[in-house]
Amino acid sequence: MAAAFIVVRKEDLEAQQNAESCQTLRCLTSELGCLTRSDGSVSFSQGDTTVLAVSYGPAEVRINQEQYDKATVEVVYKPKVGLPRPIDRKREAILKSTLEAAIVTSLHPRSSISIIIQETEDLGSNMACCINAACLALLDAAVHMAFMVAAVAVSVMEDGQIKLDPNKKEELEGRATLTFVFDSADLKVVSVVTSGTFSQEEYKKSIDLTRLAAERVFQFYRDSLSKKLMQSI
Amino acid sequence: MPTDTRRITGPETSRSPYDYCQIEISKEENQNELIKSDKKRKDGRLAAQLRPIFLKANVISQARGSSYIEMGQTKVICAVYGPREVMRREDFSLKGQLTCDFKFTTFSCRQRRQHQQDNQEKDLSVQMLEALEPAVCLHKYPKSQINIYATVLQNDGSALSAAIMCASVALATAGIEMYDLVLASSLGVLNTVLLVDPTLQEEENIANETGKSPQNAGTMTLAFLPSLNQVSAMTSDGQFLFDMINKSMQQCIENCQKLYPVLQQCLVEDVKEKANLTHA
Amino acid sequence: MPLFKTFKITQPKEYYEKFLEKDVRPDNRELGEFRPTVLNIGCVTTAEGSSLVKLGNTSVICGIKAEVAEPASDGKKGYLVPNVELPPLCSTNFKPGPPSELAQVLSQNMVDFLTDSKCVRLEDLCIVPGKLVWSLYIDLVCLDFDGNVMDACTLALMAALRNTLLPVVTVDEDSGEITTDVSIHQKLSISKCPVSTSFIIFDKKILLVDPTSEEEDLATGALTIITEGDNLCSIYKPGGTPLTDTQMKTCIDRAFLRGREAERLIEELIDK
Repeated sequence: MAAAFIVVRKEDLEAQQNAESCQTLRCLTSELGCLTRSDGSVSFSQGDTTVLAVSYGPAEVRINQEQYDKATVEVVYKPKVGLPRPIDRKREAILKSTLEAAIVTSLHPRSSISIIIQETEDLGSNMACCINAACLALLDAAVHMAFMVAAVAVSVMEDGQIKLDPNKKEELEGRATLTFVFDSADLKVVSVVTSGTFSQEEYKKSIDLTRLAAERVFQFYRDSLSKKLMQSI
Repeated sequence: MPTDTRRITGPETSRSPYDYCQIEISKEENQNELIKSDKKRKDGRLAAQLRPIFLKANVISQARGSSYIEMGQTKVICAVYGPREVMRREDFSLKGQLTCDFKFTTFSCRQRRQHQQDNQEKDLSVQMLEALEPAVCLHKYPKSQINIYATVLQNDGSALSAAIMCASVALATAGIEMYDLVLASSLGVLNTVLLVDPTLQEEENIANETGKSPQNAGTMTLAFLPSLNQVSAMTSDGQFLFDMINKSMQQCIENCQKLYPVLQQCLVEDVKEKANLTHA
Repeated sequence: MPLFKTFKITQPKEYYEKFLEKDVRPDNRELGEFRPTVLNIGCVTTAEGSSLVKLGNTSVICGIKAEVAEPASDGKKGYLVPNVELPPLCSTNFKPGPPSELAQVLSQNMVDFLTDSKCVRLEDLCIVPGKLVWSLYIDLVCLDFDGNVMDACTLALMAALRNTLLPVVTVDEDSGEITTDVSIHQKLSISKCPVSTSFIIFDKKILLVDPTSEEEDLATGALTIITEGDNLCSIYKPGGTPLTDTQMKTCIDRAFLRGREAERLIEELIDK
């Protein structure tokens, strides 16, 4: 089984970033096809935040979940410890509708596409990490997608400073954390999830900053996939 | 108790602040006098007086039939869904099935209630079902089920009889075929005093007396089909002398008959409203 | 059955399109118009605080029960425990039993709503530091599920909090004995008034505010914005059709307008 392992060097990213903000994403690493029995799998990390994402399908669907005109997207989020709680259900709901927008569900009516996310280590920007991992897992499984999605988070600090891809400490110290998901087609906003209070200007700044960073994530997807494909040849 | 992972949970244990009240003594004083010297009850009613009733049909847009009832401070909302298909095939029956679900909201009583249905609520569900079932023409609904959901928003006594009447109006507005409307009335009895439509405090006071010396101490709820002149269900708590049961039942039936026009009027108004809507 | 009803049932999307072409919705509303909002407070006297909100047909009742509990390790913070119930009473979509996924997500939304806006400071719920704090059990029961339950819930929650009266609880320093004085009541100190505004995206392009359940079923995406004064408390867009920045801006502006409207509504009612 071919496994792609690629690291985007911090320096590379920095060069691309807006010089004024001097903001960087943490290191992105991925290991595609890390599980052999699944249709698509990836172990993905952003800095120290790591998740494992697996996708199955299109496969048979439970009869009560069946939709006659499109595939049913199922997302299961497994927290690191304990049973899933309402907060995990909310994560599932966000992941589900985000991925549903990306997958061309009408191609596989009356079937299921399921994604399982295992939280491994949450050290900031967990939601963004989950979405990116899920997208990579779907790409790995070669599920038809209308566009790719990339999620990037920012934290607004007390003094109004905006930090891209915050770590746990920055998230906790910050006044607000915003997670944006963009599509690869026209970089429109697919999802937004926020916590804490922020002003309209801060929102505007955050969206501009994350949109730039999202392109880096898309580039990372391409690099990881091509690396894996090169290895399998 | 295992923690509920599907709900937001608070601290492991918490207690109502009213557990620490220091007015126990004054409560004791009043306990024995359900009726004051001026022949009136604490809320100013006479012993045989019902509380004012507010009844409105069709309050839930998503339900086939629904209604809302207020008896004093007791507030109950009820929805009827169906006839709809029975999900499990093994539940097949030529007769329709009627189900009843009775629930107190967590904030409806002085003490906070749990989210899950407890034994008392299950018990009341069954009693409600028994009162309503004889009135519904279930043979007209083969292979189907009719679901009744009653939720008590605030409990100030006589919640069961309020729920039964509420459900009966909801069934009627849902267009479910019935032999008759179901009326219900509760009664509290202490020694020789009959208290019509008791409040929560009266119910509690009577329950405190049960098992002590008095001859009669209990509450009774009776469901009545007025045009058939039949009793569909009767339930009682506490102790009654045989003669008193008879007398109490008579009193309940009388009360039910008093309430009959209220329900009729409510249904007439509902029909008028529906007619207006289709005209417009 | 009249022809238009058959059309509505068999081709709901086309039915809606016919209306939206003319910038109006089947229930006679404009695209950015809320349904009439009815707010009633103090309707359940067994609860420390209560409210009933109606948004058109959608109705949600909120009851707050206050209990006393021991604080967690940090000692000063009380508890806020919001839960949303979607009982089978309110719609055919729900079955009896444990809370559905939607109910769980809504409950979590209420937690986030309270923590993001900080409208109740948990320190204010402290009775005696390290010993006794308030635990407010906020239960929201949906009585009629006709779309936009989120906005109804948040409005009901705020109104009920503003309406909450707590008895005075004191702890004897020496004996540790707790006493409750029911003759005096105190209000919760709430300075902020966050308001949520929900939208759906119809047919990947048209934005509708305050959707009914029919509209929600046809939606290709949803968006909820919570505003508090001039600030944003939350923008929640879980997937669905991607939106441009201009579309997002339109929604945010509409949300601020609604925020002021709803704030006034609560204010007027409390003053009464």
